[in-house]
Amino acid sequence: MALKKLLKQVVLILFLSLIIGLGINFSLIKKYFQGDFQFGFISLEKYDSIAFITLGEAEGLFSEEEALFIDSRLKEAFQTGHILGAVNIPFEEYKEEEALDLIFLPPEGTVVVYCDGSECNSSLELAKVLHQKGLRNIKIFFGGWIEWTREGLPVSSENDPQ
Amino acid sequence: MIRNKYILITFRLVVGGVFIWAGLLKIFDPLGFAQNIANYRIFPEGISFFLALVLPWIEVICGVFLILGIFRSASTLLLSGFLAVFLVLITVTIIRGIDIDCGCFGSLSRKVDYKLILEDSILLFFSLNIYFSRKAVRVKF
Repeated sequence: MALKKLLKQVVLILFLSLIIGLGINFSLIKKYFQGDFQFGFISLEKYDSIAFITLGEAEGLFSEEEALFIDSRLKEAFQTGHILGAVNIPFEEYKEEEALDLIFLPPEGTVVVYCDGSECNSSLELAKVLHQKGLRNIKIFFGGWIEWTREGLPVSSENDPQ
Repeated sequence: MIRNKYILITFRLVVGGVFIWAGLLKIFDPLGFAQNIANYRIFPEGISFFLALVLPWIEVICGVFLILGIFRSASTLLLSGFLAVFLVLITVTIIRGIDIDCGCFGSLSRKVDYKLILEDSILLFFSLNIYFSRKAVRVKF
């Protein structure tokens, strides 16, 4: 029967893809089960200067005034409210590393990148660009604006000088 | 329905070629594609991850099979299915107002927009045409 033959072929193609796809990426699968991609799908070997931090760690860096906080959200969101002292580098406008030439970034210092919260992606993407730009101590605060404000930590709604 | 032999061969080359290219770009950057799928916020992370490892291979294998004429009905059916699902995903994403890259061509992806719907629909038309015309006319290289 033609339909049976068709289904057989479809299953065969799917099976072949499954075997090759999982086989070739075996090392990635191992990393996945070791919990490497809990926060985002990023190869921490390729981007070895990027680390994910929790709210507590972000708060620590903030109170010790050791890090530059970077808000990767759009300008409008930043102006409505942001972590006190943070600068705004909207990922949408700075997708290319050349665009960052005009902004002073501390090559050796620590930067903490954040966006809205765990559902946003721009902090991760901006961190990749910053890594390409040569920054070597990048922290992604995945809890972001949502966690920060939930804890009632210091914020500002003014447009801080950048 | 178009039944001209040469037009159908062109359709096969176009649809097969697009999927081979799209699939290969994703195969070289599985984590990037996993992030792209996760960005649609439809599947949980685990599913996004495993889809990212397997889906590109289905695309490439079907693309190669379609061009070479191996399991042609099955590969066209699968590719049409993909295109239909993409079409729904793109539409839903636009309606939900999520501003993301489509993930269609790995790192060369662009924003999800209406033009993407048009391109996807054209490919779906080509693909369905290959599938249904095969029953009427035997097309061989």
